[in-house]
Amino acid sequence: MRPQAQALPVHPVSVRRRRRSAAARLLDRFVHGYLALPIGVAIALVWANTAPERYFITAHALAFPVNEIGMALFIGLIMQEIVEAVMPGGALHSWRRWTLPLIAAAGGIAGSAGLYLGYVQGRYETILTAGWPIACAVDIAAAYYVLKSILPRSGALPFVLLLAIATDLVGMLVIAPQYPTVASHGGGLGLMLIALGVAGGMRALNVRRFGPYLVICGTLSWIALYREGLHPAFALVPIVPFLPHEPRRLDLLADPPDDDAVHHFEHEWNTVVQVILFLFGLVNGGVMLRGYDTGTWALLLAALVGRPLGIVTAVGAAVAVGWHLPRGLGWRQLVVTALASSSGFTFALFFATGILSTGPLLAQLTIGALGTAAGSLLAIGTARLLRVGRFAR
Amino acid sequence: MRRIAFVLLTAWLATAGSTPAAQNGGRPAPETLPRRADSLKFAVLGDNGTGEQPEYDVGQRMAAAHAAFPFDMVLMLGDNMYGRQDPQDFVTKFERPYAGLLKEGVLFYATLGNHDDQNNRFYKGFNMGGERYFTFVKKNVRFFVLDSNQLDPKQRDWLDTALQQSDEPWRICYFHHPLYSDGARHGSDVSLRVVLEPMFVKYGVNVVFSGHDHMYERLKPQKGITYFVSGSGGELRKGDARPSALTAAYYDQDQSFMLVEVAGDDMYFEAIARSGAKVDSGVIHRQPVDSRESR
Repeated sequence: MRPQAQALPVHPVSVRRRRRSAAARLLDRFVHGYLALPIGVAIALVWANTAPERYFITAHALAFPVNEIGMALFIGLIMQEIVEAVMPGGALHSWRRWTLPLIAAAGGIAGSAGLYLGYVQGRYETILTAGWPIACAVDIAAAYYVLKSILPRSGALPFVLLLAIATDLVGMLVIAPQYPTVASHGGGLGLMLIALGVAGGMRALNVRRFGPYLVICGTLSWIALYREGLHPAFALVPIVPFLPHEPRRLDLLADPPDDDAVHHFEHEWNTVVQVILFLFGLVNGGVMLRGYDTGTWALLLAALVGRPLGIVTAVGAAVAVGWHLPRGLGWRQLVVTALASSSGFTFALFFATGILSTGPLLAQLTIGALGTAAGSLLAIGTARLLRVGRFAR
Repeated sequence: MRRIAFVLLTAWLATAGSTPAAQNGGRPAPETLPRRADSLKFAVLGDNGTGEQPEYDVGQRMAAAHAAFPFDMVLMLGDNMYGRQDPQDFVTKFERPYAGLLKEGVLFYATLGNHDDQNNRFYKGFNMGGERYFTFVKKNVRFFVLDSNQLDPKQRDWLDTALQQSDEPWRICYFHHPLYSDGARHGSDVSLRVVLEPMFVKYGVNVVFSGHDHMYERLKPQKGITYFVSGSGGELRKGDARPSALTAAYYDQDQSFMLVEVAGDDMYFEAIARSGAKVDSGVIHRQPVDSRESR
């Protein structure tokens, strides 16, 4: 008879540690898997379609702090990552790399905006015209991760990143002045100059912590934009160039390595932003599904057909007059790359809330914005069909 | 046995909606407009601007109604024009169908729907004064006309101030998208409702008219406010109504419009089908603001 194994006494602290580490692992998966926003949207969709009154009351109450304040941190983080990627030593530093992606971005914007506007004009719903920047939005992270899963370590990755960044920068420039507000109060320019002066001063004093820049200068910049009737979610854009930077690798929106002071702050910032993205999805992703209408179809058509067509056509024209495709990027890969950039999701949702206020127009375009996520599946399906990247084997 | 058969037949007619009265739960539409000399009389029309025969039929029916019930104005609930909206379309989709009324000096006050070009607010025949949202007074009623396509902060701010400053006994709001509707295609717009309804309750709005769902519906009073959907002035989505516990009456078998008379503290209404049949009628007694807030 074997002696019965005696259980070791478990110290309550070690149980707590194990539980904490499991929770931390879950949070890590949540943050690094870029799932925060889709989970928020999924919850919102179920909530809005089962208890709409309760959902919309909650969403309205949270809309201002999430969309106008919280999203400033998201836009700021995107800017920080772009600045680090294009600075000397950064993955996207060489300006020669930008030429063809910029042409592709212009083609994508022309294709998506053209098809969107053509569709709504053809349906005589001119009221939807204002929504064209939503049709142009590219979900940077979705495009990057989808393409990385199909074409890892290929020239398509910097290409799609530059294309997506250039496209969204144009969108941001268009929507920033369209912020729907009651009135502008003036005095913003002075406040902005103070914010920039303080940021410059901190930089001169070699302040390495992000907190003072974000809290002091970011707040001043936010008030400045708000008073001028501009979208305050862009408050950190002028502040970010003053932050301490370290060149970084390509994993845009992925958690940076926590190996120096700057990246440590970015790591913390990223965690906060993922929580904000979850709330953003929760607050803005809830639409009643029967709210679909002309704007929904226009947006889907523009993003899933117009943009890829525009990108391939523009690059084709550029190649015809002497440009060269990046190494490792053939025509089949270009088609898949163009389709990978057809998902607007996060940025389309952000642009929609930046341009439109509560109402059925916003609802139908939100459904379209969420539907563009199908672009990622379209890219994977096409890659499989064309035997591109990991499907070549 | 005959009695059972009769009850079953009546119940079938009520659910199948094959006659106007059946859709009101089998009850006839008893109330008639008092046609008082000093009252405010108007018609209500939504989703009309197709330029097709049913719109012309409704226009003729309205002109005939005007002879017996001389209303001064028509509230247009949006989608005043469908499709192309060139100068010629204003003739074929508005001026000709309602020529009889326009000749009699009846004024049309429009709101914008999702199919309307925003520039139509400058068209003189719609009396919008170039504004997306505006207010006007007729006798003892103040009307608030909103652009429900999107409720931007400026419009919300304006409405709050306009409602607060209003001291007329009757406050009637109209806009295109319904806060309450049992239409299967669109239904209630809850995102608009959670913004507008608290203001309506706070400032004592009595009645709200909307279109968008291509049918007629009267809702049971919600927080003291009576909501109407009248979105079949030209377009029709036959059989679209899905009556619920909120439904007081509905009609989705033919195009329709409404006639309304505000006399003192009472508002009388009739919903008239293109055929001329009265498909709903009733009277709403104005309630003081305080009694509704306590609900």
